[in-house]
Amino acid sequence: MSSTHHSSGRLLSIYVALIVLFLALPVLIVIPSAFSNDVTLAFPPRGISLKWFANVFRSSEFTDAFLVSASVATLAATISMVIGTLAAIALVRYRPPGREAFLLLFLTPLIFPAIVLAAALSMVLGSLGLLRTFTGLVLAHVLVTLPYVVRTVVSTLSEIDVALEEAAFTLGANRWRSFTHVTLPLLRPGLLAAATFALIISFDEFTISLFLVGPGLKTLPLEIYNYTDANIDPTIAAISTILLCITLVGIVMIEKLAGLGKQFT
Amino acid sequence: MRSTADSYLRRFDWRRAALVSGLLAPGLLVLVLALLVPFAMMTMMSFEDRYPNATAMTLAHYVSFLQDSYFVGIAVRTFLLAIVVTAITAVLGYPVAWYLARSHSRWKHIVFVGVISPLLVSIVVRTIGWTIILGNEGLVNNLLLGIGIVDEPIRLMDSFWSVTVGMVHVLLPFMVLSIAAVLGKIDPAYGEAAYTLGATPIRTFLKVTLPLSIQGIAAGSVIVFCLTIGSYITPIWLGRGHVTVLAIAIYDQMVTLVDWPMGATASMILTLGTLAVLLTYGLVTRRLAQR
Repeated sequence: MSSTHHSSGRLLSIYVALIVLFLALPVLIVIPSAFSNDVTLAFPPRGISLKWFANVFRSSEFTDAFLVSASVATLAATISMVIGTLAAIALVRYRPPGREAFLLLFLTPLIFPAIVLAAALSMVLGSLGLLRTFTGLVLAHVLVTLPYVVRTVVSTLSEIDVALEEAAFTLGANRWRSFTHVTLPLLRPGLLAAATFALIISFDEFTISLFLVGPGLKTLPLEIYNYTDANIDPTIAAISTILLCITLVGIVMIEKLAGLGKQFT
Repeated sequence: MRSTADSYLRRFDWRRAALVSGLLAPGLLVLVLALLVPFAMMTMMSFEDRYPNATAMTLAHYVSFLQDSYFVGIAVRTFLLAIVVTAITAVLGYPVAWYLARSHSRWKHIVFVGVISPLLVSIVVRTIGWTIILGNEGLVNNLLLGIGIVDEPIRLMDSFWSVTVGMVHVLLPFMVLSIAAVLGKIDPAYGEAAYTLGATPIRTFLKVTLPLSIQGIAAGSVIVFCLTIGSYITPIWLGRGHVTVLAIAIYDQMVTLVDWPMGATASMILTLGTLAVLLTYGLVTRRLAQR
């Protein structure tokens, strides 16, 4: 009995390793390809060079798009953090009637197909004259990042015992002081994780931005997509490697601050 | 302890009600402005006879959608893609979920990070990775050429199958996590009891573990199915115009042809399809829970 268990366990381990390879390979394969000396995006890469990294920064297309993406992400994440945290505090700490319904409403942008959100939003922004404007783009990014902020802050806040804040209140601190001196420091890791999440989600957003961008206003993912329409060369592998490094820093931060596992269960 | 802690924040008074409303207001304003109003406007538009300056409500757009073989073909292809992707992720994902729920291996944490890795990286990185693997000079073609199975590169990109591979890749984590969540709650003693009573491992799995974990498969399937029928990015990046799904048709109607009423109608049909799947799932699980 134990021998059959053992061999089936080994078989399962090999299978799991293969699946993990399938999942991780497309992510990891961009790195060696970025250092290729070839003009085509071939694998295995031929030769070693850094010229494709230089190529990323040569034309202003990618750097301009990076600046657009970075400013939209910073602004949208900041707005999302403020309004999402306020909403989370209201929902967790004050438990208003209809709390579950409000929470569901805040998470709705996650369930809706992005293309439907994009189509609907572009109609309204079009009628308001905000299509292809920075303001419209930021509003859309606030909408898509808000669920991540609310979810992360709600889950962190739920784990902080209200009794601690109450103790400070009983000891003579006023309501505001007990919140800022007791709850806020405990909440800080969760807030940082939520902000990182919001930045990553906004930075990667593709579908909705596609409807809202225009000449002179293009986010990085869209600029890269446009580039691949005409060229498939290691430049895109180089830029992917750069993006991968940026995301990696963010993910390590989330893991350290709030635990990665909790965000997916 | 809990009750005193709660009472501190729970007492009803007008100041508290005003505070809660004030805290929720900015968030709700964004949701109303960027979600509810747009969706209401789109719903209206799909029923109005013409845009702008509608004179009557009509089902004409829905009728013409359903009578147009172009749209029906796209809807069928989208549905087919969703079924194929759901089936593949369920079959591939089950053993991985089993491993995550039951193994005590020290590799478990690494496997977990590997499983969610597609969700952690940019869409750009993922699709470019697949381009490097499936392209004419990519990993798979160079392997096949090296072994001598093919004489010249075969076209793997820009097809239904490259889109399927890309979708399975990004959605497999959802399936694995859904199944693992349910498997983790099943007491291994059930399976061991059946095994001790003489059932073969396969019979034990089919008669005991699989039925107990069916809820996880169902939940994962609903998520994967809904995300597939609404998917836009993977079909456009890995299909490059060769695989038109519903979301791509919506983009074409809205942006390329600027036919907003038809785009609204296609969006509504996609939304209704998604809602139908979610509602059916909700009803079935509620019915099962009552038994």
